[in-house]
Amino acid sequence: MAAQLPNVQLATPAPPPLPSLVNARRLRNQRLSRALRLWVPAGILIFILALCFLWPLVYKLPSPTNGNILYNNEPPFSPGHLLGTNVQGVDEFSDIVYGGQVSFEISVAVTLIGIAIGCTLGVTAGYLGGWLDAVISRIFDILIAFPALVLALVISVGLGPSEPHLILALSVFGIPTLGRVSRAITLSLRSLPFMTAARLAGTSRWRVIVRHILPNIMPVIVTFSLLGIGIIIILEGALDFLGYGIQAPEASWGNMIAAGQQIMTAQPEFIIIPSIALLITVVSLNMLGDALRERWGVV
Amino acid sequence: MSDALLEVEDLRVAFAVGGREIRAVDGIGYTVEPGRTLAIIGESGSGKTVGCRAIMGLLPTGTAISGSARLRGTEMIGLSDSELRKHRGQDMAMVFQDPARSLNPTMRVGVQVTEAIQTHRKVSKKEAYDQAVELLRLVRIPVPDRRFHEYPHQLSGGMRQRIMIAMALACRPKLLIADEATTALDVTTQAQIMELMLELQQELDMGLILISHDLGLAASYADDVVVMYAGKIVEQAPAKTLFGTGGTVKMRYTRALLDAIPHLERPAHTQLPVVSGRPPDPANLPPGCSFAPRCPSAADDCRQTMPALVEHAAGHRWACWHPCENGVHA
Amino acid sequence: MSAEATGKEPLLSVRDLVQEFTVRHSGGTGLGRVPSTPGVKAGVVQAVSGVSFDIMPGETLGIVGETGSGKSTLARSLLQAPPPKSGSVSFRGTDLTTLRGRKLLEARRHMQFVWQDPFGSLDPKWRVRSIVDEPLLAYHEGDRSARHKRVDELLDLVGLDPERYAKRHPRELSGGQAQRVAIARAVALNPSLLICDEAVSSLDVLIQAQVLNLFERLRHELGLSYLFIAHDLALVKQVSDRVAVMYLGRFCEVGPGESVYRKPLHPYTSALLDSIPSTEPGASRATATIKGEPPSPINPPSGCRFRTRCPRATELCAEQVPMPRELAPGHLVACHFPLSEPAPVASATASAPATQSTKVVSS
Repeated sequence: MAAQLPNVQLATPAPPPLPSLVNARRLRNQRLSRALRLWVPAGILIFILALCFLWPLVYKLPSPTNGNILYNNEPPFSPGHLLGTNVQGVDEFSDIVYGGQVSFEISVAVTLIGIAIGCTLGVTAGYLGGWLDAVISRIFDILIAFPALVLALVISVGLGPSEPHLILALSVFGIPTLGRVSRAITLSLRSLPFMTAARLAGTSRWRVIVRHILPNIMPVIVTFSLLGIGIIIILEGALDFLGYGIQAPEASWGNMIAAGQQIMTAQPEFIIIPSIALLITVVSLNMLGDALRERWGVV
Repeated sequence: MSDALLEVEDLRVAFAVGGREIRAVDGIGYTVEPGRTLAIIGESGSGKTVGCRAIMGLLPTGTAISGSARLRGTEMIGLSDSELRKHRGQDMAMVFQDPARSLNPTMRVGVQVTEAIQTHRKVSKKEAYDQAVELLRLVRIPVPDRRFHEYPHQLSGGMRQRIMIAMALACRPKLLIADEATTALDVTTQAQIMELMLELQQELDMGLILISHDLGLAASYADDVVVMYAGKIVEQAPAKTLFGTGGTVKMRYTRALLDAIPHLERPAHTQLPVVSGRPPDPANLPPGCSFAPRCPSAADDCRQTMPALVEHAAGHRWACWHPCENGVHA
Repeated sequence: MSAEATGKEPLLSVRDLVQEFTVRHSGGTGLGRVPSTPGVKAGVVQAVSGVSFDIMPGETLGIVGETGSGKSTLARSLLQAPPPKSGSVSFRGTDLTTLRGRKLLEARRHMQFVWQDPFGSLDPKWRVRSIVDEPLLAYHEGDRSARHKRVDELLDLVGLDPERYAKRHPRELSGGQAQRVAIARAVALNPSLLICDEAVSSLDVLIQAQVLNLFERLRHELGLSYLFIAHDLALVKQVSDRVAVMYLGRFCEVGPGESVYRKPLHPYTSALLDSIPSTEPGASRATATIKGEPPSPINPPSGCRFRTRCPRATELCAEQVPMPRELAPGHLVACHFPLSEPAPVASATASAPATQSTKVVSS
C-alpha cells in the first residue's frame, strides 16, 4: 500500500519567470544575417558568371581585341559602349566580360586539376601510409617550397604564354595545396573507429576510400577550393600584369590593370574598372567559402 | 542565522539554445556545513554541474540565473565578475573533470600553482614558490620540489588531479567543489584522490561538494546526498539514510539508479531491472513528474501534477507520488 | 592461462600475444629539461607482454584493467588491426596472424567489435540503414530487398524501430541509440564472437543498463560469445562467466567471476576490489590499499610488474616473472605470494610501502 501523503499542497507552484532569454527578434536577425552571408556572395558570383559566359551568347558584344579606332577613348555611358572604349577603340565592357571568362576558365581548371590529382594523391598517401606516403609528401613539400608566382613565371616563360600553359603552371601550385589538406583530413579520419569498423565489416580498401573518406573530406575540399579559386585568379592576374600571362590584345583583367596603370592619372577608369571586377569576384568567393565553412561546420 | 557554509535556495538557471528556453536548473536548494560532504548525483542533463557553476559564476553571459546562494552569508548570485573573482579561490574553488584539459600543457605545473597563488595574494616570487611546494606536499606529491618543474604530460592522471587540487586549495578556500573530479581516473587512483580530499577536508575544515553520476561515490564518501533529475532535486537525505543498513530509498528514480548499477554481489548474467527511454528534452519537459514517462510505477497523478520536494521523514525529502515501499533492494 | 580441457574446441585461442608500438616524445613544448622517465628516451611501449587465454563457445570472458593495462591494445591485436608483434590468435581453428587481405577478411568474419565511442564508430555522413547494411553488402548477403528486410530485422532486434530510425544520421541519435546501431551492425553477419571494448562506458547509468540487457538478450538469442573489456570490475563481473585482471600488459589473475571476487588471489585484484565504492548497505568505505602511481609502460618494472606498488613484494618479485599457476578450479594467478598463502617475511623492495597488514582472504 502506498503511504498516504499528508494533506499538504504538494504540487509545485509555477516558477517565477526568468528574464526572457529568447529574444525572437535577435534570433531572426541572426538567421537573416547567416542566410545573407551565404546568398549575397553566391548571388554576386552567379551574376558575374552569367555575365561573363551567358551574356555574350545572348547579346553580340563588340570584339575585345579588334577595336574601331574611330571610336577610341569614348567615355563611359556612351551609346553602345557601357564602359567606354580604350585608346585602341576596344570596348571596355567586352574586355571585362572576356577577361572574366579567361580568369574563371583558368582558375576553375586549375582547381579541378588540383582536386583530381591533388586529392587523389593526398588521400592515397594518407590512407595507405608507408613509403608511398613518404614519397608523395616529399613531392608536395618540394612543389610548395617554390614561391608559386616564380614557378609559374618560369614555366610560362619556358613554354610560352598561353591559356593552357598558364593552367599547367598554376596547377603546380594547386595540386600540393589541395593534396596536403586531403592528406591531413584522411589521417585524422583514419584514427576514427568507423574506418576500422568498415574494414571489419568486409568493405574493400577501395570502397572505404570512395564511400567513407571522400564524403567526409568533401566539405573541406569544397570550401578550400572556393578560397583557392580566388587565389588562383589573383595569381593569374599577377602573371598577366607582369606580362607573362595572357598577352594583349587578348583581354584579361590582369593585363587591363597593367595597361591602365600607365594612364592612371589621365584616365583612371581603365585601372579602376578591372580592379573592381577582380575585387568583387575574389571577395565574393572568400565570403561564400567562409559561409559554407560555417554552415558545414568545417574547421 | 545558521553557520552553514553554503546555503542555496530556489536556484534557477535557464539558457536560450536555438530559439528555445531551456531550464537547466529549476528551483533547487541545499545546505553545506563546514567539514561535511555533500554529493550531488545525477546523470547527464540533470543540471548538477550547471547549478554549481552558477554559484561560482562560471556560466556564459546570456544565462539567466535567479534564486539565492549564500556563501558564509554573502550572496553570490548576481555579483559581478570582478566581485566574484575575489571569492573564487579565497572562499570557494572548483576542481574539474579532466585534468589533461584543465592544465596548460605548455606551462610547468609548479608555475601554474604559483599563478593560482599570486592571483589572490600579493607575495613575492620566492614566497609563492615556497607556498607552491608546500601545497604540492599537502596533496601528497612525492619530491614536490622536483615535480614543481615538470610539465603536465610528464605526470599521470592521478598526479595531474592532485595538481588541480593544489591549485584549488592555493588560498585555503572554505568550500571545495569537485565536479566529476574522479570520473576520468582509474578506480584505484580515484580511491587515493578521494582519501586525499577527505583528509584535506579534515585538515582545513572545508565543506566539500562532490558532483558525480556515481551513486557508489556518494555512498562511500558523502555525508549528505542530493539526487537531481531534469533540473530538479528528486531526493535529498543523509547518505546513511539512503545507503546504510536498513537504508531506504524512496524516489523511483534513485531506486532505478541503484538497481541499474552493476553490483559485485549480483550473480553474473542477471537481467537488470531496466528503465526504458531517455532523459527528457529540457526544452520540452512533460507536465507532471519529469520521470513519469520512464517510471515503471507511474500513475495518472504522476503524469499530471509535478510532485513537490517535501520532507516526508526526518531529514529525508523526496518528490514522488508513489515512492518505493522498502528501500532495500532485493 | 588456458581453460581446462573440456573436450570442446575453444572458439578463440590466444597464445603468448605480444604487441608493441613506438612512442614519440609526445606532448609539451619539447623544451623541458626534465625527461619523462629518467634515462629513457621516447621508445617502444610493450603494451601487451605475453598474454594467453581461451574463450569457449557461448562463454563470456571479461577483461578488467586500468589505464595502461593494455586491454584495448589487446583487443585490437585480436582483430589484427594492427597485427601483433608475436604470438598466435586462433579463431575457429585458424591462426589469424598468418593471414592477410581477403583471407583475413574471410576468417575474421565471425568476429566483430563494438567500440567505446558510439559516434566515432559510425560514419557521420551515412544513414543508419546504410551503416547496418554495410557488412551485408560487403559479404554479398542477398539482393537488395533481402538485405532491406534483414536490416529491419536487425534494428528491431536491438530495439530500434526501423520506421523511425533507419533514415537518420548518427548526429540525430542519442548515445544509447548510436551504440545500438553499432551493435546491430556488429551482429549483422551472425558472428560467433563479439568483442566489446568499453562498449557501455560512455553511456549514462540507466542507458547502460538497457544496453547490457541487450547484450544478454543477444547472448541468449544468438548464442554469442563475448570478450568484454572494461575498467569497472563490477561491470565486468556482472556480464562475464570468467574474469581476467590485467596489469601493465600481463594477466594477473583469471578465473570464474565469483571466485575472483570472493577469493581474490592476486594483491592487485584485492586492491581493485577495495577501491570500488559500493552502495551496498553496510559496506565499508572504499580504501586505497595500494600506494603510488602506475609505472610508465615504456619502462616497466622487472620481474613482476606490480611489485612497485605491492605490499607483499620481495626481491624474488624483482628477479623472476611470476608464471600463472592454478590454485583453485579454473582460477589461475601469476604471483609469487598469492593471497591464499601467508605474506612473505621480508618486504625488501625499496619502493614497496611498509605496510604490515596482510589482506586475509575472507570466506
